[in-house]
Amino acid sequence: MTVQYSELIQPERVHGSLYTDPSIFAEELDRIWYRTWVCVGHASEVARPGDYVRKKVAAQDVIMTRSTDGEISLLLNRCAHRGNLVCEDERGNSGSFRCPYHGWTYRNTGEMLGYPYNQGYGGKGKLSLGLGRVPRVDTYQGFVFASFAADGPSLKEHLGAAAGELDRLARLSPEGEVELTAGWLKHRAKANWKLLVENETDGYHPQFVHGSVFSVTGSHIGNLYSDKSTAVTRDLGGGHSENDLRPEFRRMGTPMTWFGTSEAKVPEYVAKMRELHGKQAEEILIEGAPHVMVFPNLFVAEISVFMIQPTAVDETVQNVTAVQLKGAPEMNRRLLSQCVGSVGPAGMLLADDSEMYERNQRGMAARMPEWLDIRRGVGRERVDENGFRVGAANDETGMRGFWSHYRSLMEREDAR
Amino acid sequence: MDQWIIASEFAEVAVSLDTEANGPRLRLTDLRGGRVRYLDALELEALAWLPDERMRELLDPSAGRWSDGRRDG
Ligand code: FES
Ligand SMILES: [Fe+2]
Repeated sequence: MTVQYSELIQPERVHGSLYTDPSIFAEELDRIWYRTWVCVGHASEVARPGDYVRKKVAAQDVIMTRSTDGEISLLLNRCAHRGNLVCEDERGNSGSFRCPYHGWTYRNTGEMLGYPYNQGYGGKGKLSLGLGRVPRVDTYQGFVFASFAADGPSLKEHLGAAAGELDRLARLSPEGEVELTAGWLKHRAKANWKLLVENETDGYHPQFVHGSVFSVTGSHIGNLYSDKSTAVTRDLGGGHSENDLRPEFRRMGTPMTWFGTSEAKVPEYVAKMRELHGKQAEEILIEGAPHVMVFPNLFVAEISVFMIQPTAVDETVQNVTAVQLKGAPEMNRRLLSQCVGSVGPAGMLLADDSEMYERNQRGMAARMPEWLDIRRGVGRERVDENGFRVGAANDETGMRGFWSHYRSLMEREDAR
Repeated sequence: MDQWIIASEFAEVAVSLDTEANGPRLRLTDLRGGRVRYLDALELEALAWLPDERMRELLDPSAGRWSDGRRDG
């Protein structure tokens, strides 16, 4: 059966089978997850030579390593002998890896160093085998991306306008660098990955789903997504989208409001930024961090970073960590506690969202009405000065951008 | 005697300073295989300067512990 994506994905609605059909999920692995650029981790997780961490690209078990010459590699965690897992630990430091089954040994670049009792192979260096390497690895602002396709658009091309949002995150650090060193939480949701991606820049749900959190904490976030808000949802192209809250923060005009705090609480940080950036510091401190969904799996939610990993058509793992800004210890403590409070094990925001993802998946088991509606705000969309489509803060502009890119990837005939 | 354990999922080695001899030595104990080896200052210096290529050869399992006992042809 060939799926007709143009029938399932229409400008104002998408078909429920896109979230529930295992054969579509299998095609997504081929055409999206093992082809386009997918975010795997961050360079700061393997800061020193010999460091390694285990990562996932959909179902692929990947080891991210840093070699003695500083290069980052993504190796497939599969021994070239008989396929055993080579690395077991989530992280460690080792310049080489030895498979526990028969002792084949590899450099952390994947190169074979040797195997025990080599006479059985006619001596040393007789096998031109090594660990599999992800064909293309590239980084942007330290975020490490993988592409299983030997060629295709470069990472820069893939990121397009989303790159500027990662720059905006990095410039919040006095040293211009983000670090993802706080450790990862893994949240498993019984829901299709696209429900998570769509929700990340859905400004329609916060006032509803997160209403109780906002009222308990006295948070102003809900208002940012109200119908009166001047914030916008922007389709950044390439399937990327953002909730751009800057218009509201500029209107309020107070540094650190984006972070729900005041400069008095983080005096050293604010002073350091002013010293560094002069006049421009006010803009940086007022505008704050982005809220951007980078297709298909990197979500930066101001203070937290999410990497979305699909494991089955109806199961997704959301890997979450706190943003850490190099050279800003005062901020980092707060970033960590805010992150834990919102998306930690007892965090309030992600718990709300996860409940919605899972209810969504269960609801879609019902046969009718078949479609999911994505038309909100179609009639009030406009094109901004940079040529991007924008809608109101609570419009579904981001989802429509996601689906049009998704469709272009899934329909490509050369995909097989 | 101060002892450090240097461990990964691939190996576990205890490292300590030995002062029983006429001069100090580093004592290594492979905690998985039981083997003990001492390294004197000159040997440690040699290791510090060992080219990466030579270290890679040492990491070949057939280079020592798991060799067939025959020279490679
Ligand atoms: S499977 Fe890895 S050494 Fe045999
Ligand atoms: Fe056995």
